[in-house]
Amino acid sequence: MREVISTGNQLAAKAAVEAGAMFFGGYPITPSSEIMHESSDMLPAVGGTCIQMEDEIAGISAALGASMTGVKSFTATSGPGISLKAEQIGLGFIAEIPLVIINVMRGGPSTGLPTRVSQADIGQAQYPTHGDYASITLCAGSLTECYTETVRAFNLAETYMTPVFMLLDETIGHMHGKAEIPDLEEIQANNVTRATNYCEPADYLPYDAEMNKPAVLNPMFKGYKYHVTGLHHGPTGFPSEDAYQCEFNIERLVGKINTVHLENNGLDDLPDYEEVDLEDAEVCIIAYGSIALGAYEAVQKLRAEGIKAGLFRPIMIWPSPINRLEEIGAKFKDKILVTELNMGQYSREIERIIKRNDFTKLLKANGRPIAPAEMVAKVKEMM
Amino acid sequence: MRNSLRFTGVGGQGVLLAGEIMAACKIKNGGFGLKTATYTSQVRGGATVVDITLDDNEIRYPYANEGEIDFMLSVANVSYNQFKSGVKPGGTIVVDPNLVHPTDEDRKAWKIIEIPIITIAKEEVGNVITQSVVAMSITNTLTGVLPEESLIEVMLSKVPAKVHAANILAYELGKKYALEKMGK
Repeated sequence: MREVISTGNQLAAKAAVEAGAMFFGGYPITPSSEIMHESSDMLPAVGGTCIQMEDEIAGISAALGASMTGVKSFTATSGPGISLKAEQIGLGFIAEIPLVIINVMRGGPSTGLPTRVSQADIGQAQYPTHGDYASITLCAGSLTECYTETVRAFNLAETYMTPVFMLLDETIGHMHGKAEIPDLEEIQANNVTRATNYCEPADYLPYDAEMNKPAVLNPMFKGYKYHVTGLHHGPTGFPSEDAYQCEFNIERLVGKINTVHLENNGLDDLPDYEEVDLEDAEVCIIAYGSIALGAYEAVQKLRAEGIKAGLFRPIMIWPSPINRLEEIGAKFKDKILVTELNMGQYSREIERIIKRNDFTKLLKANGRPIAPAEMVAKVKEMM
Repeated sequence: MRNSLRFTGVGGQGVLLAGEIMAACKIKNGGFGLKTATYTSQVRGGATVVDITLDDNEIRYPYANEGEIDFMLSVANVSYNQFKSGVKPGGTIVVDPNLVHPTDEDRKAWKIIEIPIITIAKEEVGNVITQSVVAMSITNTLTGVLPEESLIEVMLSKVPAKVHAANILAYELGKKYALEKMGK
């Protein structure tokens, strides 16, 4: 392990470079700008490229283009930038272009609260653009996870050939402290590289993928010529409106994430959630991202006062840990407190999964964090 | 033992770096330190608050808990008024008397110490940017939360070599004024 003193944004940039990213395309926006700033130092140092484009749309377009050449690429922004990038995110989904999109969340909608913390892009991360697809979204709950989950995002993007969202928020992106991160050798040993089909170029069919499997897209400019489009397409990549083909495409795009996640109980071997003191708990706090930092302290304070509290913290937000949330819903009944910095975006997912809405919510959407004391008071009201 | 410190000012004064230095110093000495800043979207002039939490044990929640702050330092009236309520009863608040004007009630609630931080930086050090180091020095002298030698070492590692001498002078002056207020 390595001990570093850093901010969440700096750690996300470091993780990207150490995960093997060689291209950043973007446009700076508070509170994510330090990711681009750091990348502009770190990428050239390893022979990579960091480019500030003329706007958010051009930023993601450049990053998608770089990724099509087989180079691990990423962009970083905040909610308003995701809104602008929406069309190209859709291209990433349908054309199956791996890309890590880091969103350091701030208050919205529109330009909202540029310097203040929010978790209001949870819904946006699930459905950032029109059409049917399935999103993979990770959310850092500590400085360490700004590093480890960003590395994971790159590996998932390459494995499933899809854009992956990495969510930070203003608090976690800007907070400065100690983090323990894995050794570089360990990270590099586990970095996923782009799958390639080494067939005869004349026989190559980029989108000839089985149901629930990603396309194998050979890096461009290496002898394999193929068509890439946002239109529905057949195995060759050329547009197709064949009814069976279109249905198969959509089922495969959704299934390669959601079905695989459900059947394998995850998309990789890493934890999709963290549980703290849940085993003997009588009340369960559900929190993610920087709000979970306050929840850890709330659990400690409640236990010190004789109330057995525990914490469930999702790390993979989309797809949600459905099986475990169902069990938590059954075990804790109405003794569940969901706390988040929005008007209940993840609470709605919990309602959907446990098929009840009798639990308690502690929500805030004014750009301020939720203090442990507020959680403690809310839990006491519930008991 | 947790130390909860708060610096408040307006955007552009450099209070963020002082917080980073203090957190890093605690970590380098084997403990845990976190710095968080809250500021407005104004480039300059908006109320800025930096919370510094230092502990020998792991810290999760990075902001100061309201009413639990041991020590606050303020160089702007707008942010003083906005953030003073976080200081615990009887806690210490250092203010620059040329810029911050505590009420009589404030003086009863907290131990208020007046040190002309900006003037010291501007006139005695000769570089207004060193105000954050003057502030940090005053803070550490009054609270004793960090080993001084180590704090100066971390500070020097974070500022360009050409301003090392000015920042050392800033630290010494901050310490001198703080010791005077302590009657030492």
